[in-house]
Amino acid sequence: MSLKEAAPPVPPPAAPPSGARRRGSGARSGARKRSGKWWIPWLFLAPALILFVYFKFIPMAQAVSMSVQEVRPYLGNTWVGTANYVEILSSEGFRSATWNTILLAIGQTFGSMALGFGLALLVEGQTRKLTFIRSAAFLPVVVPIAVVAELWRIMYHPTSDGLLNQVIGLIGLGPSGFINDPDTSLASIAVTGIWRGAPYDMMIFLAGLAGIDRGLYEAATVDGASTKQRILHVTLPGLRPVFAILFVLAAVRGFRSFTEVFLLTNGGPNGSTEVVMTLIYKLGLEQNRLGVGSAGAVLLFVATLILTVCVQLLRKRRAV
Amino acid sequence: MAKSLRWAALGLGAVLAVAGCGTSGAPKVEQDAKAPLELWTRTTPGGDGEKGMKKLAAAFEAKTGQQIEVTAIFDDFETKLSQRAAQKDLPDIVMNDSSQLGTMVSQGIAREVDLSKIEGSDQLIESALTVAKAGDGKTYGVPYSAQASALLIRKDWRAKTGLPVPKTWDELTALAKAFTTQDPDGNGKNDTFGLAVPGSTKRGYASWYFSNFLWGAGGDFIAKQADGKYKPAMSTPESVAATKWFRDLACTSKVVQPGAATMDTPPTNETFEAGKTGLYVVGPYLMPRFDKSLGKDKYEVVPVPAGAKDATVLAEGGSAYLMAGSANEAGQNSWASYVISPEAQKLGMEGEKAFNVQLPVNKTVDVTSVRKDPRWKVYADVYRDSGRYAPSIPNWTPIRQATADTVNALIADCGLDVPAELTKLDGKLGEMLGQQGIAAS
Repeated sequence: MSLKEAAPPVPPPAAPPSGARRRGSGARSGARKRSGKWWIPWLFLAPALILFVYFKFIPMAQAVSMSVQEVRPYLGNTWVGTANYVEILSSEGFRSATWNTILLAIGQTFGSMALGFGLALLVEGQTRKLTFIRSAAFLPVVVPIAVVAELWRIMYHPTSDGLLNQVIGLIGLGPSGFINDPDTSLASIAVTGIWRGAPYDMMIFLAGLAGIDRGLYEAATVDGASTKQRILHVTLPGLRPVFAILFVLAAVRGFRSFTEVFLLTNGGPNGSTEVVMTLIYKLGLEQNRLGVGSAGAVLLFVATLILTVCVQLLRKRRAV
Repeated sequence: MAKSLRWAALGLGAVLAVAGCGTSGAPKVEQDAKAPLELWTRTTPGGDGEKGMKKLAAAFEAKTGQQIEVTAIFDDFETKLSQRAAQKDLPDIVMNDSSQLGTMVSQGIAREVDLSKIEGSDQLIESALTVAKAGDGKTYGVPYSAQASALLIRKDWRAKTGLPVPKTWDELTALAKAFTTQDPDGNGKNDTFGLAVPGSTKRGYASWYFSNFLWGAGGDFIAKQADGKYKPAMSTPESVAATKWFRDLACTSKVVQPGAATMDTPPTNETFEAGKTGLYVVGPYLMPRFDKSLGKDKYEVVPVPAGAKDATVLAEGGSAYLMAGSANEAGQNSWASYVISPEAQKLGMEGEKAFNVQLPVNKTVDVTSVRKDPRWKVYADVYRDSGRYAPSIPNWTPIRQATADTVNALIADCGLDVPAELTKLDGKLGEMLGQQGIAAS
């Protein structure tokens, strides 16, 4: 239900030859000049659009309609108005799940971005060896999340002979309970998420880095800038659009965290890792209260939408 | 462009959704006694459960000439059933946990069973039949299999510690402690634990497991009042004592396997078969698996020791639900009559692995007549003498989930105050009972 997936990837209109900056006028002048029928692009988009409508938009609309009903698939639904929203908003479980979701989203977003940026700086370059290292670093992204969760569960084994506990034991710490201790469980899940998300961010950073004019670095070096100053004054400003994109993507991903939480802790222990998605799952699919679950899903959607729109607005204001 | 399209789709979807919810109520279906039956069973596709059910189905077809098609589904069974319900095209028969009754009835997808039309229903064990009755006193399912929990003990470990088979909770704790501290597997490492506990909140496992101890101590999740309504009962002195005892296993004597708070059943089973834990309270369905992975001679099956009150343990089972809207109600009835017949009960128990009937629900069938293994006798006796089912209320799942959350919290966070948490839990349970309309004033 994220906006990222909900918005079909409509290609941006081709840049008009005149170099006009405004999107609308550009598209219009392009349409006038280009030969061919207006519906040809739609024809190419149609397969994806039909799938999107059927598997995304209709279910989304149904979720909205279910959120104001008591859902009884066989007996027929009954209209309950805002009762589902009132119930979920007034429940303590939803509030703590929201808080946990926000914490997890923030932790995973900034953690992945920081680590991804660091990795990108390390593996940036042209040589063949780097290609191999980059592919290796990218592996966590392509490993199925279920495998990731099972791996980390083994690594998080809470006794001193657990893998990570042995590692932190070397520097005299632990043994930590990791996912089994309510104090560390959310952070442990965030670490798993960062480990998985960072290489993804790294790839986008790499693409961004490639777009920065080499001449700027040379100029900065000639001016006597240190490595730190070059990163601070050339690399980071050059990556500004990349940061904005990544922030939205990562935040949406963070809001929707489900699989790793579901597989590692299922919201426990003591509700310390209950996020909105696991709560919705429990309400809707385990307790069969689809109406209340849908209300939660709609609230999550609205939150994601607001976040994305805010980031877009901020970006636009900067760009002008 | 993309934006306007999004709104159009949203509008279209909303129209469809509104149109969809206009229809309601169970349709009356024209009957056809020849119509093939569609049967869903909650078991792993391709697994032994499916084989066992197919075996029963084949025997039924041979006997009655009625066609029946078996579909095994395990993951998201209830969700898939809801989807079929939304299409108003349910399977004819669903073989599922007896504890699903309340949910199925409140969704209106299981039809009432007229016991006079089910041959042999007078031979059913009373307690098994009780769970097929909903809060309104009507019967909505036909039980075909039963099970109860017993205690599995690593025999070789116990021999090494020299302790007897536990008869009391104190002896159970002592044995668990010995398993934890005395290195019973003799590998020179302190890596074994006493009791295996699936303490995750997934599907309410923590609560499901704890009920074996809660009831034995005289405690309860919710207590039925004289007027048939329920009161939360997790903060009664008996329940508090049981919870404290259970929690001490994890927190004070530390005999529960580490990581129990995030383990559901598969990893917990592994701790037992991999020789990390030596005690496990489970139903008989895990015996084939442990016989294979661990070895028959490595563990023994005994009744769970009695708590402060008695040795009550969780009884569960499977029921045949006759689904609403079927075109062949006569066929549904004849299947239900068949699965509880002595013939089918025996056939269902046969085999080392592919059995579908754990313990017979038909009084005239003796488990030892089919199964010579004395461990089955232990399970049969426990079920008959001490088995207790979860109460039939409209929706047991939220109650189990809420209690699981609290039990999970208590074993994960040893700093929590037990009575305070249980009082909080009682507040939640009271709310849930109110929502379901069965709260005692």
